Amino acid sequence: MVIKKIVGPSERLYLSALKGFFEEVAQLTLFTLRFFKQALQPPYEFNELLKQSYLIGYKSLPLIAITGCIMGLVLTIQSRPTLAEFGAESWLPAMVAVSIIREIGPVITALIFAGKVGSGIGAELASMKVSEQIDAMEVSGINPFKYIVVTRVVSATFMLPVLVVMADAIALYGAYIGVNLKGEVSFHLFFLQVFEKLTFTDVFPAIIKTFFFGFAIALISCYKGYNSNKGTEGVGVAANSAVVYGSLAVFILDMAAVQISSLFS
Amino acid sequence: MKKTTGHKVRLGIFISLGFALFIAGIYFIGQKQQLFGNTFHVNGIFKDISGLQVGNNVRFSGINVGIVESIQQISDSTVKIDMLIDERSRKFMKKNSKAIIGSDGLMGNKIVLIVPATIGKKALVDNDTIETFRAVSMDDILIKVKVTSDNAATITADLSAIIGSIREGKGTIGKLFMDSTFAQTLDQTLVNIKQGAGGFKQNMNAASHNVLLRGFFKKKINPKEKR
Repeated sequence: MVIKKIVGPSERLYLSALKGFFEEVAQLTLFTLRFFKQALQPPYEFNELLKQSYLIGYKSLPLIAITGCIMGLVLTIQSRPTLAEFGAESWLPAMVAVSIIREIGPVITALIFAGKVGSGIGAELASMKVSEQIDAMEVSGINPFKYIVVTRVVSATFMLPVLVVMADAIALYGAYIGVNLKGEVSFHLFFLQVFEKLTFTDVFPAIIKTFFFGFAIALISCYKGYNSNKGTEGVGVAANSAVVYGSLAVFILDMAAVQISSLFS
Repeated sequence: MKKTTGHKVRLGIFISLGFALFIAGIYFIGQKQQLFGNTFHVNGIFKDISGLQVGNNVRFSGINVGIVESIQQISDSTVKIDMLIDERSRKFMKKNSKAIIGSDGLMGNKIVLIVPATIGKKALVDNDTIETFRAVSMDDILIKVKVTSDNAATITADLSAIIGSIREGKGTIGKLFMDSTFAQTLDQTLVNIKQGAGGFKQNMNAASHNVLLRGFFKKKINPKEKR
């Protein structure tokens, strides 16, 4: 009985963890509802929205571009030996294109985005909370939720798809370089082979799901930052949990998106 | 202020570029699926479409000229395929062109191949139905291979029985190969025949010198000499 108490966690611990989880789910749901309520109500913070779009979208482009290029290049180099075994090297551009456009491009870009933008939003909002800037905004008559959360979530929702399109294009260029490392394929032929096998059912679900990825990453990051506590320690915790839960949300949403798109294809 | 304007311009370029890339991608995929060019419809009725799907390519003289737009089962043994063909290929497609379902390589997708017809016929018009024929499918080949292998099995079984009989010394060939007495008798018979033939030759020589039969032999030789 004594050993059991030392080794195994008590029932109370399980219950409190479960209770904490449900509390978190409820708070996140309320936070989401508050977002929609605030987002639809005027006045709209257009200038802040453009500023955040610039910071979230444009400023993330170099990182996304480098990742995309490496992604295309590596995928091509790794896929070549397997296809060469079957004498199907000519299928390399089409296979890499379908992989990048359907799955790898959106997911990898969203994960990089969660790492860069999610942690930034989490840390920024947490430090604002800790230094009581959010309270100061309220006192000065500015709606902090609308100004801070809505603008960031809307920007991330619309910027991630743009980044994914660019990452896909750059990854395909990386794949072109990869194909030409051990062969000789003209850009025109590569381009034709890429579009030979692509269909609308590859492109549209992949782009639509990135809106949800962007929304989830920004919303979770804002939630973690906006509700942080424990002083300066809370800033690190908020940044960390924003990345962790944001990335997890990307995978869960991706799984759901694949199931839904397979129902319609 | 200047900084904000610069940011806005950069953001505008960034979004426009992303949007342009997306639209370009959509355009190229749509162009491949004949969404933006002038097209016309052609139908074909097949007994078996061998797994053809909507969106598969239609080829004419080895060029992709269209796609399969719809597949419709019209009876228990016939399937109607509606094809969307590029208008530019219409002048080369004659009324008596034939459609066949083929495959894009050994492992590739199914495609509809339109075989060019004789020159002089009129070009196809919108919603024309073209003649179809069935290609030799892998199943047909496998059925023939099965019949051939069944026949081969029967032949080898018979051959095995024959060889078994020979080995047991049954039948003439079996006795010839396996029965040593028969072989000795046959050998002796051949010796006897040889001796008999030698004796017969001597008798005939003697007969040709006989007084009574000399005239007969001379008559027999003379016609040959006269010629």
